[in-house]
Amino acid sequence: MSRYFDIDDIIMEDKHSTVFFKVGANGVGLLDPSAETNRVEQGSRVELPFWLANELYLRQAVSVNIPPCFNLKTRREIQADAACVDLRSRCPYFYELGCKVAPLIGDKTIGSFLLYAFMNRFKDILSKAHSAAFAVAPRFLPLLTKEEMQLYEAACSSMTGFKKWRVGGSRFEKASILGMKKRSSE
Amino acid sequence: MYGRRASQLLKELSTCEPGQLTSFNTDVFDQVLKECNAHHLELQSLMRKIQEEELDVQTTKNAEHFGAVIHHLSLMRNKRCLMAYMYNRAQIIQSLRWKLGPVLPQEIQEKLNFSEEEYFKNYSAALESYASELELDLTVDMVPPKDPYIKVRVLDDIGDVLLSDQSPNLARHSIHFLKRTDAEQFISQGLMEELLG
Repeated sequence: MSRYFDIDDIIMEDKHSTVFFKVGANGVGLLDPSAETNRVEQGSRVELPFWLANELYLRQAVSVNIPPCFNLKTRREIQADAACVDLRSRCPYFYELGCKVAPLIGDKTIGSFLLYAFMNRFKDILSKAHSAAFAVAPRFLPLLTKEEMQLYEAACSSMTGFKKWRVGGSRFEKASILGMKKRSSE
Repeated sequence: MYGRRASQLLKELSTCEPGQLTSFNTDVFDQVLKECNAHHLELQSLMRKIQEEELDVQTTKNAEHFGAVIHHLSLMRNKRCLMAYMYNRAQIIQSLRWKLGPVLPQEIQEKLNFSEEEYFKNYSAALESYASELELDLTVDMVPPKDPYIKVRVLDDIGDVLLSDQSPNLARHSIHFLKRTDAEQFISQGLMEELLG
């Protein structure tokens, strides 16, 4: 229930995947752009957002295909060199979506695949977050998914906090919301 | 339709910096509300069709039923998006009260909806009544204190101020030795900065 209001969770569930309708549905023609009447025919292939596909699967109205970001091509790329694969362009919520999609499509290999990808990328993230200066880091930042970005930023902020404590900087800060305002008005 | 526009609202919230507010997007909000009404009407017409065919509403699983299900799910989705939008903005507004004090600067005030302004006032009043019962100001000492007094330089002209132990004239670029609890408010509003060393 704590994820009901979570923005990341909501945006992640918007990811589209193709489903195969096992039954017909009336009055929802807008879902299928190729439908001529105001209905979706049984046996048609439609692209639905994940939240809708999930609910319809639970009601046994559709069968869900694997989203394109988990296909064979991505798996081969990750096996070749996990740290260099651009996961953000495939799906910014790669890991979370994989966890949610796995029971829908009945693919048992997704779990181990996600773990393998994450372990390999995490080594890189950890070392670069703790050591890199600003100039070096941005090269590989666009490749990270949202979850990895959060880890990276947490590590960076703890490093800056540590350095600040060591040097003994000012402990009172101007409220961050004002800081942005003043810069933009100058 | 089908929750696409509602996600726009949330994408807007997620793209701005954490802790920042954009203006309340009344246009998209109203559009989502209209979509909810449209879904509801479709839902009702589909349910009526099932009843006209004299099938049992609870157990039939025909095409109308699934159409109705999809409209219902879209309604729930829109509701979730709208509520998350309001909830997350309300959280940011609450944190503003702690950081900036009971009066909001004009530039932030413009971005709030009317009901959000009311929320801020009520939250502020609740906080103040609670603090006055405890006889403790809760919004100071957000960072554990090391010294009771700190040296500050004034950035903006504030003029004469009556503080707990002195009444200095806070002219621009002047340096003062103030009690930390008094200075904290001014620093977080950007009117002073702490001097070190």
